[in-house]
Amino acid sequence: MGGKVTCTLGEVKQRADFIIYWGGNPAECHPRHFTKYTIMQKSKFLPRGRKDRTMVLVDIRETKSAKAADIFLQVRPGKDFELITILRALIKDQPVRDEDIAETGLDRAAVEDLVRRMKGAKFGCMFFGMGLSMTRGKHMNSAALLTLAAEMNAFTKFVAMPMRGHGNVTGADVIMRWQTGYPFGISFNRGYPRYNPGEFSTVDVLVRGDCDAAFIIGADPGATMPQPAIDHLARIPTIVLDPHITHTSRLARVHITTAPQGISAPGTAYRMDELPMPLSPALKSPYPTDEEVVRRINEAIAKKPFWLPDGGPSPHQWTSQVNL
Amino acid sequence: MNLEVIENATCTFCGCVCDDIDLHHDGVRIHKAERACVLGTAWFLNHTAEKKYPVALVDGEEVSLDVAIETAATLLHAADMPLVYGMSNTTCEAQKECVALADLLGGLLDSHTSL
Repeated sequence: MGGKVTCTLGEVKQRADFIIYWGGNPAECHPRHFTKYTIMQKSKFLPRGRKDRTMVLVDIRETKSAKAADIFLQVRPGKDFELITILRALIKDQPVRDEDIAETGLDRAAVEDLVRRMKGAKFGCMFFGMGLSMTRGKHMNSAALLTLAAEMNAFTKFVAMPMRGHGNVTGADVIMRWQTGYPFGISFNRGYPRYNPGEFSTVDVLVRGDCDAAFIIGADPGATMPQPAIDHLARIPTIVLDPHITHTSRLARVHITTAPQGISAPGTAYRMDELPMPLSPALKSPYPTDEEVVRRINEAIAKKPFWLPDGGPSPHQWTSQVNL
Repeated sequence: MNLEVIENATCTFCGCVCDDIDLHHDGVRIHKAERACVLGTAWFLNHTAEKKYPVALVDGEEVSLDVAIETAATLLHAADMPLVYGMSNTTCEAQKECVALADLLGGLLDSHTSL
């Protein structure tokens, strides 16, 4: 997501006096987010901690996070994009009809109060979760929210940050961006990286039956993906690397048990604000690390003829071979 | 019981990646994860250094790591359009190897982000 207006969690902790959580439930999914970074911390700029900060929760239902919020705005399911667009209009004093506001499940007073508070903040930060990015509108919702954050900078300092789940999913974005120029949904089938979510994104690829082998690492699509995608994984040779025997392992041709990251595998993981953190594994695993296994698979593949029909020697490999 | 302590260990359960966890362990099992939240505590305490699963399986049969690696390489190499997917619960170092794998194979590369 190039051009994203964002910051680190350290800056949020020190300076953010206005926090919006949109489509996320940090109280249950990121339990230390409130206490470590967003609302409970005292800082040089916010010496009274919680009293100096305002927290707004926008969600379709009243989750446990609502208890921690000063203001809870219950948006009608699937109307996030509309509400963000209305906010984008109202901050610029453009006219918005009552019926358009009513469609989002909120009234004019609540929305105008939010706009006033956003503009009145010294440092605003919007955290958006999967309730925004994985529902109707998907990446368009995220893009709208990031645009709202950017546009708010005409009035005051404002940033946005995704609430990433799954440990090192941020690292995957960063590594793919570094190595290929794109964060996900990449194809190398022309010998250079191309990016096209929808065409190269996994669910679409599997549901259409486009791929004829799958290498799954640090994920369990057999438990989370739609049934037609799982059916295709069972049809094709699937290889799984995981610390456990997963649902995907059970339908795979090959399963290799690896050491869990951060517990017995060393390395680096990225925090949601894209800060790299070194891991300090406590235990020695009887299993090899993911890194070692994938490197050995790469070495074994490199000994075979190159994939072009003439089987000629492997030309320049796009991604660099320097070690981290 | 004498427990060794790893100070300021990093938790990789969620995107917060808290790096202030003190892990009390006996080499096999983590007994206490100080400052970790309920999710992080479960993450640390549920993983052990015990050998609970076979090293590798091919078609449901236990095999050696070498055989599994060679089988994986052969299957991936034989495919016209292999997919490399996931990379959430693994290290950046392993992710970089995964990018190299997709590149080497001329295949597809994707993570949880696209879901």
